[in-house]
Amino acid sequence: MSPGKRIAIHVVLISFAVLTLLPFAFMVNNVFRTNSEFYHSFFSLPRAAKELAALGRDRALGRTGQVEIKDAEGELLVVSRGAAAAHWWEQATNGIRRAWKVIRPYMLNSFVVSLITALGVALIGSATAYILARYRFAGSKVVFIFIISTMMFPGVLTLVPSFLLVKKMGLLNTYWAMILPYIAAGQVFAIFVFRSFFQGLDEDLFESARIDGAGHLGIYWHIVLPLSKPAFSVVVIMNLLGTWNNFLWPFITNTEGKRHVLASGLYTLARSTHAANFSTVYSAYALSSIPLLVLFVYATKPFIQGMTSGALKA
Amino acid sequence: MNWRLRSTFTCYTVVLPSLALLFTFVYLPVFWAFSKSLYEFEVGGPARFVGLGNYVEYLFRDPTCWPSLLNMLLLTAFAVCMRLSFPLVVARLIFALPSERTRHFYRIVFLIPIVVPGVAVQLIWLGIVYADRGLLNELLRMIGMGGMATGWLSNPSTALVALAMVGFPFIGGFEVLVYYAGFASIPVSVNEAATLEGCTGVRKFFLIDIPMVLSQIKLILILTIIGGVQAFQNVFILTRGGPGFKTNVPGMWMYLNAFSFQRMGYACAIGVLLFLLILTLTVINLKYFKSAEQLQGKAS
Repeated sequence: MSPGKRIAIHVVLISFAVLTLLPFAFMVNNVFRTNSEFYHSFFSLPRAAKELAALGRDRALGRTGQVEIKDAEGELLVVSRGAAAAHWWEQATNGIRRAWKVIRPYMLNSFVVSLITALGVALIGSATAYILARYRFAGSKVVFIFIISTMMFPGVLTLVPSFLLVKKMGLLNTYWAMILPYIAAGQVFAIFVFRSFFQGLDEDLFESARIDGAGHLGIYWHIVLPLSKPAFSVVVIMNLLGTWNNFLWPFITNTEGKRHVLASGLYTLARSTHAANFSTVYSAYALSSIPLLVLFVYATKPFIQGMTSGALKA
Repeated sequence: MNWRLRSTFTCYTVVLPSLALLFTFVYLPVFWAFSKSLYEFEVGGPARFVGLGNYVEYLFRDPTCWPSLLNMLLLTAFAVCMRLSFPLVVARLIFALPSERTRHFYRIVFLIPIVVPGVAVQLIWLGIVYADRGLLNELLRMIGMGGMATGWLSNPSTALVALAMVGFPFIGGFEVLVYYAGFASIPVSVNEAATLEGCTGVRKFFLIDIPMVLSQIKLILILTIIGGVQAFQNVFILTRGGPGFKTNVPGMWMYLNAFSFQRMGYACAIGVLLFLLILTLTVINLKYFKSAEQLQGKAS
């Protein structure tokens, strides 16, 4: 490929990437800005960051003495450089601290719901998939069809009746209203992935284990599970993604707002009085992205595998 | 007791949790969706049997029905066009790069936004891109066209377009990965033959590459249609169907009927109709849209 063509491709791809990431860049920018900065100039960088950078430069140059800052009432104060730095740091992180106070319980709820759901899906899904992959028993085909057919029902069909169901079961405003339906629906994709993975395992493995006297459970526990780590990471990550991002269901089933997860909590935050302070809102969005960002950086490969194996689904 | 029978019993014991959960939280709601759509009732209130009355009312007497179906159709058609073009081109461009490291880098870059919760993305578009003092209006003011600045989501003539443009430039990491996997699986022999025949560049893209990733295109097509018909989270967060009913979609109307107007049976009926629509579209799609494998099977 000619260098000119290669450069052209890079230019196109980078401009697309910039456009894609632009709204998120503004989100991060507004984490550190005050409302008046937002209104004064949409595109400016955070004043606090600029001031901190200037103070840092002063310090590197060995400048000492006092500087002027404006206090909350707009009065000019003359303070030491250390105090000024503390002031600007306070202002820059103000939104984050306020947002954290609001979303801390949502974050906790998100963790509880997502982790228990992922655990349940991995456990129940792998057990069922193992039986379906390795054993032929009366009605095994029917069981498989019973499971796989549920993929045909879209969420829009079951949203209202599912609400009526969890209400009738007295589960509204509990974790279970989210966890149980999530496991029920999430296991289907898991069974699909696990089943094809288990079917691909070498038959000799099972033979030799059986000859060595391993029982059904022993084979599953000592042979299948250790070999299936890639399948597990794909299933767990895909499941976490779905649960973490689900907004409507937690929003609907938390009629009293006690068990809001991040997604539904962010929406309530954006419609509450906290929303008057932009840095609080955008800090909340940014903070709520961190857990998946960490997971993504830590487990990029299963992430990508999971996304493409999702393609097997249809 | 013979071994086979006991084994069958054991098998059912292990799959029982799966089946019980599916029965309770999937099949029962599906059954209820149909049965309760025949009644008129509030939560906890008495139910009155109305037969197909809810369906008749929605399709023939509800003034929101056809405009909202049209909105849904337009939004879905637009989403289909976007997801079958931009990510496909981007994936092809990435695939054309010679170094595996840069290819990996770009795939990661386009995947990063999935770590931001979908709600937050929509709220960011609401508060940053479309706000009065938001990105679009400020850009217009900067280039001296402040007169065109408007409340993009509250102006009846721009609301639907603004809603459709959320997510611009529509390069989802998922789509890019799927298309990329498709390009990566094109056999070397096909590419060599194309080069020998002098088929390169844009011509090759349309004549060779696209037909070879048809099954990926079909997958994205089906997923986008299924998603588009039932999608209303974006409407819910950005406009709630307004201004007036300008951006209303059937899913939104179902939600409002269930949770604002307490018309549970009516909401179930709308859900059933959307399900039937999705089912029809999926069957048509599977039947008439041939995948690459099928095309190749025909050719050989």
